[in-house]
Amino acid sequence: MAMDQLDGNLIDTDVLVVGGGSGGLMAALSAKRHGRPGTRVTLVDSWLIGRTGHTAFSNAWTIVALPGDDIDGILHEIVAGNDGIADQELVRQSLIDSHARLKDFEAMGMHFHRDEEGRYKRRPTRGLDLARVMYPEGGGLEFAWKQRLACEREGVQLIDRLFITGLMRGATGDRIVGAVGINSRTGEFNVIKARSTIVATNAITFRSGFVRDITGTGTLLAYRAGATLRNAEFSYVRPGTPKFYFEGITFAIQEGASWVNAKGEAFMQSYEPEWGDEADVPRIARAMAMENRKGNTPLYLDMSAIPEHLREYFIQSKVRWMDNFFRKLGDEAKTDMFGKTPYYALNQMTKMGIRTGADCRSDVPGLLSAGLAQAGCANHFAGFHIGLCVGNGWIAGRSAVEDLDAAPPPALDQAEVRALHAETRAPLNDQAKAESDRILRDLQAVMFAYDIGILKREDRLQEAAEKVTALSDEFKNIAAPHTHELVRMKETEAMLLAARFILGASLYRTESRLSHFREDHDQRDDANWLVWVDVAQGGNGPAFSKTPIPTPYCSVVLPRRKPSRLAARQSVGGV
Amino acid sequence: MIENIELEKCTGCGICDVVCPADVIHMEPQPVASEIDGLRQVKLLPVIKFREHCITCFSCEIFCPEHIVDVHPSVKNRPRPW
Repeated sequence: MAMDQLDGNLIDTDVLVVGGGSGGLMAALSAKRHGRPGTRVTLVDSWLIGRTGHTAFSNAWTIVALPGDDIDGILHEIVAGNDGIADQELVRQSLIDSHARLKDFEAMGMHFHRDEEGRYKRRPTRGLDLARVMYPEGGGLEFAWKQRLACEREGVQLIDRLFITGLMRGATGDRIVGAVGINSRTGEFNVIKARSTIVATNAITFRSGFVRDITGTGTLLAYRAGATLRNAEFSYVRPGTPKFYFEGITFAIQEGASWVNAKGEAFMQSYEPEWGDEADVPRIARAMAMENRKGNTPLYLDMSAIPEHLREYFIQSKVRWMDNFFRKLGDEAKTDMFGKTPYYALNQMTKMGIRTGADCRSDVPGLLSAGLAQAGCANHFAGFHIGLCVGNGWIAGRSAVEDLDAAPPPALDQAEVRALHAETRAPLNDQAKAESDRILRDLQAVMFAYDIGILKREDRLQEAAEKVTALSDEFKNIAAPHTHELVRMKETEAMLLAARFILGASLYRTESRLSHFREDHDQRDDANWLVWVDVAQGGNGPAFSKTPIPTPYCSVVLPRRKPSRLAARQSVGGV
Repeated sequence: MIENIELEKCTGCGICDVVCPADVIHMEPQPVASEIDGLRQVKLLPVIKFREHCITCFSCEIFCPEHIVDVHPSVKNRPRPW
């Protein structure tokens, strides 16, 4: 049979990094720098490393602790702000390393904003008093591209347009020995043999976020290869409008914007008396959902308190694609953004990731994880997504090369490679119609309903799980007429599996915490639930379990206090 | 969503294809007026192959050296919670 005929490339490397955002880029660079001379590092991405993916389209805000900053205080804020769901060891190490990474970025030619006296300009991030974010000129596009160029200079092998479709366990079956994938344009098959493999493919988004090319399939490949996943019950739900992208909500609120309902009432104060509009993003989302239930929608972001000159600032985004966006919307952006357009609580991505230790090693030998594919933190703070990716990328790269000497030479398994090749290509049928979009739309409708994704309850979660099962069954009957659809099908397949874990973990955690709000268990319960919820392959499908969260450095609660106003929290510092 | 590429001004550099994160634009050989009678001449030009999958990231427009790509700032088909 033609399917059995192997045709493609075999690439041999020491460290394979899958995913070209800041987690993967830093992991590759770190592996190169920590490895002995001659260590081979290969970085692959399904599109263009440094130009596609979440980092490239972000504003690249990153939390940096400058010398003299209170690292333990910042750690405490982050841990408490995440309702305890954080790997304290990993977050702390990322903060400690952040100043050295800043210097690395500057050596790559990046410029971080400074005042007239040359001190770094820093901004506060939502609801936190000690943490400060820094932002490079040129936003994520420059941030990611300069990291790509650094990887090139330092000898990392970069392979664009390689979509990974499976991880290999090799001849001995006891460790990961690389991955297989296809060229995302031509479909050409590739096998990459590696001694350490780092998965850094971001989180699953269900194509809902502002960057809809992020599909996070690597996380699910890791699960299939035996890794445990974590934090599936949490998601990054943030206020937004389907009409346009507005990344400046944190800034706007700091400058005096507030959420109002259809009656013109500023509603946040009644849900979050102490924090009001500066509450954490999931709490704003929850309040919005409750306002919807009360019939108080549409909801608006009232920016009338913001002076005209600052409004201009929001439109003139530092992110190039967003700048294009607002410029082209013209007056519509100004009038709608500042009061007319209804906002929703929009689900951007799941916070599910691969369970690792603070060293970024997974439970499966030879498999590590970095970026948001790693389940280090369920954070919702502007600046911490990238901060954590940079931090855990650096750690993952170092751990990967530390493993090289001890790891046995990888031995491929012919039968496994053939099976993965057949599995990868199985849906191809040039007579078929492309139908995965239809299933995706149905899946989105199930997962993003506010009373499933934001206000959760047992009976509704179970009903949603049945719908996802039905969609998964329907998915088995579709095929792909070309490589474009084959890639999209693989992504949709991963989303269906992720949906199953999200609903399963949401049913499992019978309390409320962070973005996980159970109406039928509406209190946070530290006595029983200061745990991570893990999912791994069991005898009868996915098995959920609890892992207590260690608290070596700080408590998971912070004395609540009114955040100081923005003017008092603007700061400069460091060199 | 991507609206148009002014093909008559296109040099065929292929940057729009390379930077697209959603595989929307494909460079494909297109027939063009031939320099020599009797010979078929083709040129690699961008084709908007999967417009419905455009994510409105503006990359093609931003990086086009000829400034001939037009992306409309409308965002369609985003799931809503209510």
